Amino acid sequence: MRGHGAFRLEHRIPAVHAYGFARQGVRNSVVLNEIEIMFGGQAGDGSLTTGDLIAGVFKRMGLEVYTYKDFPSRIRGGHTNYVIRACEQPDYGKADAVDGLVAFDVEAVEAHIEEMRPGGFVVFDNTSEALPDGVRRADIFWYEIPLARIAKVDLGLELVRNTISLGVLAKLIGMDPKIVRDDVAAVYGRKGQKVVDINLRAIEAGERYIEEHFAGQPAGYGLVAKADRDRLIMMGNDAIAYGALVAGCRFMAGYPITPATDVLEWMAKYAPAFGGVVVQAEDELSAINMTIGASFAGVRSMTATSGPGQALMTEAIGLAAVLEIPIVVVECARAGPSTGMPTKTEQSNLNHLIFSGHGEIPRVVLAPGTVEESFYLTVDAFNLAERFQVPVFILSEQALCQSKATLPPLDIESVRVDRGRLIADGELTFGEYKRFAFTDDGVSPRAIPGVPGGMHLAAGSEHNDFGVITESAKNRARMMDKRMHKLHAMRDELPKARVLGDPHASVAIIGYGSNRGPIAEAQDCLSRDDIVTRFLQLRTLWPFPDDEVRDFVASADHVFVVENNYTGQLERLIRYTTGPLPSLHSIRKYDGRPFLPIEIAEPIRRLVPTASLEVRR
Amino acid sequence: MATVLTPKDFATATPSWWCAGCGDYGVLSALKSALADLGLQPKDVAFVSGIGCSGKISGYVHSYAFHGVHGRALPVATAVKLANHELTVIAAGGDGDGYAIGAGHFVHALRRNADITYIVMDNQTYGLTKGQSSPTSATGYVAGTSPNGSAEAPINGLALGLAAGGTFLARGFSAQPKALVELLKAAVRHRGFSVVEVMSPCVTFNKINTYAWFKENVHDIAADAEYDPSDRTHAFDVLTRTGRIPLGIVYREERPTFEDLSHIPEQPLVRQPLTGLRDRLEALQRAYR
Repeated sequence: MRGHGAFRLEHRIPAVHAYGFARQGVRNSVVLNEIEIMFGGQAGDGSLTTGDLIAGVFKRMGLEVYTYKDFPSRIRGGHTNYVIRACEQPDYGKADAVDGLVAFDVEAVEAHIEEMRPGGFVVFDNTSEALPDGVRRADIFWYEIPLARIAKVDLGLELVRNTISLGVLAKLIGMDPKIVRDDVAAVYGRKGQKVVDINLRAIEAGERYIEEHFAGQPAGYGLVAKADRDRLIMMGNDAIAYGALVAGCRFMAGYPITPATDVLEWMAKYAPAFGGVVVQAEDELSAINMTIGASFAGVRSMTATSGPGQALMTEAIGLAAVLEIPIVVVECARAGPSTGMPTKTEQSNLNHLIFSGHGEIPRVVLAPGTVEESFYLTVDAFNLAERFQVPVFILSEQALCQSKATLPPLDIESVRVDRGRLIADGELTFGEYKRFAFTDDGVSPRAIPGVPGGMHLAAGSEHNDFGVITESAKNRARMMDKRMHKLHAMRDELPKARVLGDPHASVAIIGYGSNRGPIAEAQDCLSRDDIVTRFLQLRTLWPFPDDEVRDFVASADHVFVVENNYTGQLERLIRYTTGPLPSLHSIRKYDGRPFLPIEIAEPIRRLVPTASLEVRR
Repeated sequence: MATVLTPKDFATATPSWWCAGCGDYGVLSALKSALADLGLQPKDVAFVSGIGCSGKISGYVHSYAFHGVHGRALPVATAVKLANHELTVIAAGGDGDGYAIGAGHFVHALRRNADITYIVMDNQTYGLTKGQSSPTSATGYVAGTSPNGSAEAPINGLALGLAAGGTFLARGFSAQPKALVELLKAAVRHRGFSVVEVMSPCVTFNKINTYAWFKENVHDIAADAEYDPSDRTHAFDVLTRTGRIPLGIVYREERPTFEDLSHIPEQPLVRQPLTGLRDRLEALQRAYR
């Protein structure tokens, strides 16, 4: 396992080992404002709506929220779960353990009982089946309630079973009853007053059941409402799409693929009101070529896809780079290879984004680590694409792009649209225009169809500065220099990495993307045991931030690279930059699920000798 | 600009890569004449081509020309039209580009009916890779990759086009320049997706489908005064009947374009304002509060 410095997390570390929160089954205190709820049942049973409702209530009570979808790749049936985490710290991800499980069938209990925190609780719908013996962990509190029967018999509508469970939870953990009712009314409002009324009665039925049957059995969790600052709760994919629209994207072509489809659907819904057009293409080959075509015509354009689609787009991305046509490609990574696990998360497409394609091209890969960054980095992506006339990738992952989180309002005022060297009407004289003119930074003024005097051939074949196809050796070398030089010219304009934690700590962590949350939480856990760390969250992955990484590791005694893949793709990029680095260790996970904080904290704790933990000032 | 342009105004200084006698010269010459006759300006023409001998044509037409990857001319052309519908958008490619590697896009372009023109330069062989069989080669066609004769039936591009919802389907012959100019003008004027398949002999590799062979095997459907190009059933019959290859406008109908049904704004996408939208963009955030 330690053969080449990699911790491979083949098995999830049982949550019972979670330190810091363990309460060993005996309830002697109430945990405040720190809870992870999981809804488990069959796909298509409506727990998504209820889960979102709970997330909204948590937000309005002033807490920070993160949600995580663990759905099967099918529409109905199959075990599914939806996790809603609430705490006081922003940008955390999934917690080490589940505090409260709402289980609609035995399978949900059996599948997740091991993930439960000692002292946690289970709400189980025992209408159609009783819990088998031996399932009930002694350190968990059990609320076995015939939810479906109450829904059917008392309320006459089995569908509201989920809403009854919301009432049960609200009572158990102390959700603000007024906020719960307001949100239920708002969510079901568009379906009419009758639907609102029955759902409000369902809430009441749930609350009453707890009062009548479990009055002496508190759940051990409590919520204390904080001032609800002006915030949003948004899914990563929505933030990307919204960022694109704000950045001036007016054309999108895409082919439906999990987990990227939300971006296409969002744009299809909202872009037309801003004079935009969205096309569902016949395949990804078409989608990427359409994106290039619209950008050739002068419109800010993007596509969004996931691994399999990305593979199909590879040839045309080389075309965009050689035609020096700006495009933005959103990659919402999932577990590969081939079909892999379409609804599961992974960071195994990094090599593909950076190195794929025949020939050599300049490209940019940006990786947001939060929903908020998904918005701002998308704006950056469009500006970089046009400023340097290159393809820019936004790399997200299922655990970020399909997750919702709380965030401050997005600052539209700060957004600048920089269209780079775009030629306006009347700037050109006939016969002189060199579309691919050699310049200091490799970027040539770009004329778009309709501009007098800008006619040229944009050819994927090697061409000279006028665009005329040529295989001249001298020209070829110059053109390669011109295009590749952009990677250097853009250095100062690329999004910088963030450093979290104590910048002088001798223990250093490097990661990106959705691992930001679990790493930040692992840092907080470790600091409670006086293990001080610093974390470099990379936000530009290509061109690789050599200087930032070299500076960051230079003064560290231990460097941990955290990533969701088997081969250590990020670790290899770092080693390529730093050279041999004996202090570098790799923490990897590749089971399709996001890191839990403990899975990062534990290897660090095990490897770092306490003696070396001094902080250098 | 009121200047009257001639075919020469659509020529580039780039010397041609085609073999002497290649049918593609006839297509190029007819296209330049058609563009001039239509009173178009090079700045308002976007010309997209694929890969192959035919794909070279974009380098010889003075316009905003795009020479992309193999088989993908139609997605590029469709998007150019959506991005700026004031442009005249023409795509061109060969039988391999359009009916083999790009066949999927051909079918969907027909369904969409974007207002673009697609010229398929059909030489029934792969010329640029030195003479392999193509999707339109006859069964039994002997070539480098089919030494015992092609084992596949040829694609009937226009019949496929009719089945997939084509609204303008025509065929020309590069050795009949006057008729070809008129076909191309009608195709560009057609509001919707227009396909002009041009028989464009390869003098180097295809020793069967030669100029002489075509002259023997084509007939002009306009010669039949009764022929009604709006009659879909008749058109299908003409296209699939064995015997002489029909030339002319085989089928034509009007139906809403992709631009119409995609509700593109009157002001082209490329000129949509990107600033001054703050309040409307802010309003979208409210749903997430």
